[in-house]
Amino acid sequence: MSRKLLASILIVIVVGALMIAPVAAQGRTVVTWFVGLGTGTNEQQIEIQNQVVADFNASQDEIELVINLAASNQVAADTLSTLIAGGTPPDIVGPVGFSGANAFSGQWLDLQPLVDAAGYDLSQYPESLVGLYQTPEGLLGIPFAVFPSLMFYNADLFDEADLNYPPAEFGAPYVMPDGTEVPWNWDTVAEIAKILAVDANGNDATMDEFDRTAVEQFGFAHQWGSMRADFSTFGGANFYDAETGQVTIPENWRANAEWTWNALWNEGFMPNSTYENSTLFAPTLFASGRTAMARVPLWYTCCIGDLDAAWDIAVVPAYGDGSYAPTDADTFRILESTANPEAAFTVLQYLQGEAALDLVTVYGAFPALPDIQEESIAIKAEQFPSVQNWDIIVPSLAFAVAPNHESDFPNFNRGQQRFADFRTLLYGDTGATINLQEELDKLQADLQAIVDEAN
Amino acid sequence: MTIAQNTSTAGVSSAQARRGERTIEQRQRVWGWVFLSPWIIGFLAFTLFPMLASLYFSFTDFRIGEPITFVGLRNWQRLFEDANTVNALGITFRFALISVPIVIGFPLLLATLLNSKVLLAKPIFRVLFYLPYMVPAVSGIFIWQSFLNGQTGWLNRLLRLVGIAEPPNWLFDPRSLTFGLVLIGLWGVGNAMLTMLASMQGVPTELYEAAEVDGATPFTKWLRITLPMISPVILYNLVLSVIGLMQYFIVPYVLSNTTRSNPETNFFNLNLYRTAFQFGEMGFASAQAWFIFIIALVLTIAIFWTSNRWVYYSGEGR
Repeated sequence: MSRKLLASILIVIVVGALMIAPVAAQGRTVVTWFVGLGTGTNEQQIEIQNQVVADFNASQDEIELVINLAASNQVAADTLSTLIAGGTPPDIVGPVGFSGANAFSGQWLDLQPLVDAAGYDLSQYPESLVGLYQTPEGLLGIPFAVFPSLMFYNADLFDEADLNYPPAEFGAPYVMPDGTEVPWNWDTVAEIAKILAVDANGNDATMDEFDRTAVEQFGFAHQWGSMRADFSTFGGANFYDAETGQVTIPENWRANAEWTWNALWNEGFMPNSTYENSTLFAPTLFASGRTAMARVPLWYTCCIGDLDAAWDIAVVPAYGDGSYAPTDADTFRILESTANPEAAFTVLQYLQGEAALDLVTVYGAFPALPDIQEESIAIKAEQFPSVQNWDIIVPSLAFAVAPNHESDFPNFNRGQQRFADFRTLLYGDTGATINLQEELDKLQADLQAIVDEAN
Repeated sequence: MTIAQNTSTAGVSSAQARRGERTIEQRQRVWGWVFLSPWIIGFLAFTLFPMLASLYFSFTDFRIGEPITFVGLRNWQRLFEDANTVNALGITFRFALISVPIVIGFPLLLATLLNSKVLLAKPIFRVLFYLPYMVPAVSGIFIWQSFLNGQTGWLNRLLRLVGIAEPPNWLFDPRSLTFGLVLIGLWGVGNAMLTMLASMQGVPTELYEAAEVDGATPFTKWLRITLPMISPVILYNLVLSVIGLMQYFIVPYVLSNTTRSNPETNFFNLNLYRTAFQFGEMGFASAQAWFIFIIALVLTIAIFWTSNRWVYYSGEGR
């Protein structure tokens, strides 16, 4: 090869490399914000997030905020793992809940030194919420958004069945069709859900003719539930004792499993996996307009979609002497591997401050910051005019389950997968014939083996 | 030939050689390497080096965000002790035993049909049978998921119409899940069908004529002439099917993401994927990857070793 040709090739390579050089050549510190581990990947959210990024970049000239969106929530954890393993981790991750964060346990930056250095005022948040993020590794997050579990109900379906709506106040009774007042608890939910579950022939689940293989409307569903969240509707539990290392599935969780199995396979007012994946219940169970009640955290308002029915929210039912509202809590976290912690914290303050209202609105969240809660509710009321009971959100926070249903434990990822496998077993076709108590014992034994592996 | 002529034949005069210039042949060789270099660089960077890296990782405890520590054969030992891995291998082999005969036999039957003299409008059928192969995999899986839904899927609605009151819940009942997955797999037999059809159409007609003279039935001709003559193509499709099964991932991955982690869809590669990206255990996942590679290699060698007995290459002495 001639020297001229070799030189030409080298010049082409160098010019090409310069053309694809990063924008950092302009002098700003680049901070990457990864979205998708929690919510944040639907079209409307992407639009708002991009606007937040553009507004931040326009407001100052020291930091270039770049957003990195996962293709979907389903692949977000994989994507983030790949970025970390590949040596190109983002700086900020969020919004992310405890479950998503625990999947990357040990990799979050302690924010306390940054809070102290910046003089950030944590007292503007309720102390209990700040406490959620105080861990042995330090302050790993600042409260941003909370999502208490609520009972979403389809008012039109209740009207059709001539039933009263669920109560909008903790401790208030439910009024049955015959006028009798009964406690608003999971037994009552089962009773009215049977009336609301209807098959293709118009029979409801209280009738002998009810055909469980041809249901067209269900009475209740744990919309997008996880097993620990479903269990926690009957009360929280430290299933893993950190002191003794023992795993125990408590009696209240077993009671919840029994109630669920009965609803799925005996009474038939809850949809199993086959129905959940059926086109009849697209896009989601409640949003299809064919499920009368759904227990789901507040973030579900992000995804109600085009539900063409009047709907509202009610308080979660009681179990025993208490009411238990499994509560999700999302925030933004900074990875320990960040090369620019101060710049990342500056961005974090912006997301938690000036951008907070826009973001919580599009995430369907309730802001942890009391100052913007009223405005947030006003925006929601405008978005969803059929909903009257927004004032149950704050009281529901008081019934947040402790410990949180996404709390960490050894070998968290494998343990969560085991809980997911149990839920699949319960809701899947084999659920009808399983020996529930045996499967719960097996779950306990498997979880014990999983935590022992890590200890 | 004189030395000067020899030099001339080589294309380099002694003067040229003194100046260090290359011959035409040498220049062509260099240009060949230049044009091959992008592929070579890509192969080294994206295939060979990652393979070697994963082999190294298989002997380490490599977890996302933690330092890499050498652990010897522990990951390899764990392959036989980890319940999820053993179970996933069982699911994969069980599926292979049922699906391989079907994904070889079904396109063979389709090719036989398309090669038949009595079938009209063959080009149209050829296109129709091949077309599903062109549909993007994930889209196809979503369509099949809807079609095979136990309650509202079209297949079960049809089965109920013909009197089957309780048709299988194809994608949820463990007893029928394998057949449901095979049905989804049949969507992509277009390529195998086409190669077998092309091979069938290359069988010399005089063989069939001679067989007819001897009074052979159509089935005998198919069994004794067609099958042996296309056996190399059957071998090719068999090897591809086995390797494809050892790589089986996209169908169970899409199904598991939408059907809430059905344990029955926990095929080996899905389990490997979860081990790496969900549980963050890159070292163990690397051991799993090499394990399935070794299994695929052994199976492929076994198939080639047995091919002496059933594959006929025209021109051979057998």
